[in-house]
Formats: sequence, C-alpha cells, structure tokens
Amino acid sequence: MAVVRLDKIVKRYGLTGPTVVENVDLNIADGEFMVLLGPSGCGKSTTLRMIAGLETISGGTLSIDGRVVNNVPAKDRDIAMVFQSYALYPHMSVADNLAFGLRRRAIPAAEIERRVKGVADILGLAPLLARRPAALSGGQRQRVALGRAMVREPQVFLFDEPLSNLDAALRVNTRSEIIKQHNRLGSTMIYVTHDQVEAMTMGTRICVMNAGKVAQIGAPLEVYWQPANTFVARFLGSPPMNLMPATLSPGNRRATSPALDAPLGRWSHATLATYAGKTVTLGVRAEDLGLEKPAGEAVGAIRGRTVAVEPLGAETLLLLDIGGGTEITARLPRQVEAFLDQEVELFFRPEAAYLFDAETGDAIAPAADSATVVSAAVKRRTH
Amino acid sequence: MSQTAVLDAGPRPSEGSPRPLPRFFGRGALAFVLGVYTIYTLGPFLWLATMSVRTTAEISAAPYAWPSTFHWEQYRSAWVDSDFAIYFWNSTLVVVGAVAVVTLIGAAAAHALARYRFRGNRLIYAVLFSSIIFPPQITLISLYQILVEYNLYNSLLGLALVYVSLQLPLTVYLLEGFFARIPQDLFDAAKMDGYGDLEIFWRIVLPVGMPAIATTLILNFIQLWNEFLFAVVLITDPDKRTLPIGIRAFMGDHFQDIGMIATGVMVSVIPVIVAYVFFSEKLIRGMTAGAIK
Repeated sequence: MAVVRLDKIVKRYGLTGPTVVENVDLNIADGEFMVLLGPSGCGKSTTLRMIAGLETISGGTLSIDGRVVNNVPAKDRDIAMVFQSYALYPHMSVADNLAFGLRRRAIPAAEIERRVKGVADILGLAPLLARRPAALSGGQRQRVALGRAMVREPQVFLFDEPLSNLDAALRVNTRSEIIKQHNRLGSTMIYVTHDQVEAMTMGTRICVMNAGKVAQIGAPLEVYWQPANTFVARFLGSPPMNLMPATLSPGNRRATSPALDAPLGRWSHATLATYAGKTVTLGVRAEDLGLEKPAGEAVGAIRGRTVAVEPLGAETLLLLDIGGGTEITARLPRQVEAFLDQEVELFFRPEAAYLFDAETGDAIAPAADSATVVSAAVKRRTH
Repeated sequence: MSQTAVLDAGPRPSEGSPRPLPRFFGRGALAFVLGVYTIYTLGPFLWLATMSVRTTAEISAAPYAWPSTFHWEQYRSAWVDSDFAIYFWNSTLVVVGAVAVVTLIGAAAAHALARYRFRGNRLIYAVLFSSIIFPPQITLISLYQILVEYNLYNSLLGLALVYVSLQLPLTVYLLEGFFARIPQDLFDAAKMDGYGDLEIFWRIVLPVGMPAIATTLILNFIQLWNEFLFAVVLITDPDKRTLPIGIRAFMGDHFQDIGMIATGVMVSVIPVIVAYVFFSEKLIRGMTAGAIK
C-alpha cells in the first residue's frame, strides 16, 4: 500500500513536440481507488504509463510513499499493471504467466508456488493453470492478467482500460471482481477508463482529464452533481447534461432565452451581477426535466419541438429542438406518450439548474447556502 | 413497391455476383492441379533416387529404367571412397555455424530495428534492405579480396563468414516484419515483471518469434547447404570442399559419373529434408500453440 503523488507532471514528446500531459497534480491516498477518466487522447493512459515507469517524465515530480521515482526503472517501483490487451505471454502456461514476475525477484520456489496457487484459487484459475493463453476465453485471460498483478503483492496496482475488450456481461462481472479484490487487498489502485459507468461504480475518487489537463477531481457523485466545467458536465452522464445559451437578468435572478426561463435562486445577486446582460450557459440534466410542473413558484421551463422519441423500455428519451441549433434530451417515465413534431414544455426544479461561463466553460458557483441544497439533492438522489 | 419488397428481391442472376462452381468440380480441379504439380516436382527427385542405386553404365544404357539391381554399395562408396564424409562434415560445420550466427545476430538486429526508436533506425533498415535487391554475385570479387587480405581465403571460417554476410539482410528483413507485430504491451508487461532488455529478448522475443525464426532457419539452411558459387571460388583445397563442390568433382570434361553424382546428391539432400521436416512440423507446431493475440 502506498501514497502516490503527482506534482505538476508534464509529458512532452521531443523538445518541440506536443505536450500531451500538462501540469497534472494528483494526490492518491493509501488504499484509494482512483479512476482517471476522459476521452481518447486526453492523456490518461500516458499519465498511468508515467506512474508505471513505462514513459519518461518530461517535468514535475512523481513520488510513491514520499520517494521520488521519476528516474527509477519500472521494475524497481513495486508496481503491477493490468493491460487492456491482457499482455499475457503466449508461449507460457497460465501458471508460468503468474510466476514469471516472481522468478525474476529471486523468491523461493515454494513461496512462488504458494502465491500462484493462492491467487489461482481466489480468481478461479486453478483448473486453467496448465493452459496457454490462446486456449482461454476473454474473461479467463483478463482474470489471469489480474492474477499476474495480484501475485506480485505490489504497493500500487495500475489498470489501463482492462475491461475494454470484454463483452457487456463479462465487463460487469470483472468490474465486480476488481472491486472485490480492492476491498480484500486494500491496495492503492489507479484505474484508467473512458467509460463513465466504470468510473462512477468503481472509483473512490475520479480524476476527469481533458486535453492533457485535469478537468476535475472528486468523489463520483460530487463530480456528477457539481461539475467544475461544461466538459465534465457533458462527459459524465448519459445522456449528457443539456447545455443551453441564455441571457442573465440579475435583477430578477433569471436566465432567459426565447425557449427558456430559469430561476437562479441558488446564485447570489453579487455573482449574477458580474454576468449582467452577458450570455451564459445554463445546464440541466436530462433526468431533472419533466412534463409535470413541480409545486412552487420558481420553476424552470423549456419549450421545444420533439425531433425524436426513443422508448427504451424502462424510460423514454425525448429529443427537443429548442431553436438556435440547440437540442436537448429529457429522460421521462416509460408511460409517457410523445409524438414527433409536437410542441412540448418541460419543467425543472430551480436546484437542478447549473450555470457556466459561456467563454471559459467554468462553472459559476452558487451561493454557499445553496450548495447545501445541492448536497441535500445529492443525498436524496443517492438514497 | 415497398422498400422491404425491394430488399427481399436480392441480386438478380444476370447482375449479381458469379455463382460458385459446383463443389465436386472445384475439388476435382484442385486435385488435378495438385496432382500435376506433385508429379512435376517429385518426378525428378524420384528419378534421381532411382539413379543413385544404379551404375553409370546402366543409366547410360536406359536412363529412365527402374533399377534391375539396387546398388546400395554406391552409398558406401560415395561416403568412404569418394570423401563424401569429409564434404558432409565441412558443409555441416560451415552451414550450421553460419545459420546459428545469422539467426542470433539477425534476430537481435531485427528486434532492435522493430522495437527501439533511435536515430538512423530506418536508414540502417533501408541499407540492409537494399543489399537484398542486388545479386550476391557482384560482391564476389570484393569478398575474395577481403578474405585474401585477412588470411581467410581457402578456409571454412572465411566461407562461413561470407555466408553470414550473404544471409543476414534477408533474415533481418523477415524477422523485423514479424517482431514488429509483437504487441508493445508484452514488452511493457515483462518490464513491469522486472526484466531487462536482454532478458526480454531472450525470454519473450525469441520464443514468441519462433515461427518466424524457424522459417528463416529453414530458408537459410537450404540455401547455404546448396550454395555453390561462393564455395567454388573461395575454397580450393580438396579436403575443405563442401558437398556441392564435392559433387562437382564427379563431373569431368569428357566423362560424368552420373551414378555417383546421383548418390552424392541424395546424400546431400537428406539433411535438407530432415531440417525441413523437423523445423516446419515439430518446431512450428509446438511454438505456435500460443500465438500472438
């Protein structure tokens, strides 16, 4: 178990080449399950590979348990990694794959055998020990890859999109298996994925990355309900958060557009005054929109014309064109009957509204007392 | 007409793809072609095999006849009286040595070119590749001169070194293509497991690349075992002859001992067949059980 600390970590290819990771600051606590989440090319895998020692670090400091490891070779960092492609040695049996790393470390044969057997029993690999990787299914290979990391008993586990090559059902099973092993071992784990469901269900905390930079770090529900910017707001959530341009009227604390009228009671007069008359971005999650008007005076409303109706069985997605080239999605109960090209008015509670600076995309923080309302909303939705 | 109806109609015979040939016809044609090809390639070999147990007089009288008496003693005569044992040993020494060195150096070079990014990587590859394009004969005179300069002319070591230089480019070329396809994750995993570059080459690259290595082993072995031009130019002593030059000794200006030549060729062919069967069957089958995935 170990504390991993990234301090202004930079990765640049060549002297004049592109900077793919820029000033990443990240403190990963002992025993924490940290998920690096982001789209392809955001630098999450490169960051993981720098932690592993498979990529050189162009700038900043990487330390494990207080020891700076920038120039320490991968083999001396006491880290194990599970790869997306499994990376099992094709010419070795499962048992040899598990034992390969231990043999290099001059561990007595009896101890190697004990550890291999122990891990094989935990992961249900005992009947497969004599087989070669080519004779295993995708799920079995993934378990061998996990076992190869576990058998080393390292300080830190790294996972580079380990579930990407599995089918949906197997992905759910293996996800549970990894969570189970994290709970059992209590080791520090760093997990890279582009799948928000994996991130939300597995991570103690999530570090959302975009274009080589950290967009936000926080607990899964915190990042979901309090996104720091429009990128995080859109990236977490399916369907993504609806973002609509609106003009602020600080006097009556409303954001309006021809199709939209949103009360902004959560924000202070002072905060809104700085954006007076300016265009801002208003965000509402699809699940916070409804056809029935909630009780109370201050209710947000959006009008639009249906362009698609997607009945998914458990729910119905309604796609609305609200004008100005903007489309929004509402997640409605399955009983809802909707038709194409129909005028619809959707409502939302004032605490469901998010406000972002239209230029920078950064979230405009609500007043402190309103933050309590959000926390309450988070709790309500969690339970 | 509804869209479904259009889709269901499928391609019409006149405008659709050509219909496949009837199965029996396809199989029959394939068997015929393979049969003709087998006779074409195996025929001369069988003819040679029959000649190897006939005397030259018998062959001259009836070249295509089946042996009336099997003169197995010709093999003993070739092996003992005609110094084929010496030629065989010389060939084995030179070819096995050269193939071993070519395989080891070629695999290491191919691994370096396929895996490591360094300045001049592609230039080295291009130079190596360009040497495959030129016929080896153009290097004959310069190689002769170099061997004379270094006192390696008329020596088995000199010939082996020449063979190494001849086969190395093709070996690197073939292996580089295969090694480049080994996933980088495999190397990264071995690094994480604590292994250094040399150990990764030895424990991962060579075993995983064994199908390609076996292919180059067979190719190099067959090519060098049958190599004549460089051997006849660079070796002069009778006791240093390799098999192809030894067989040539039975060809005089006015008389050719066809029977002994056939026997000699059969002796020289046996190791090639053994090498082919061993490497292409057992080795490849064994080592490709865990193919790259």
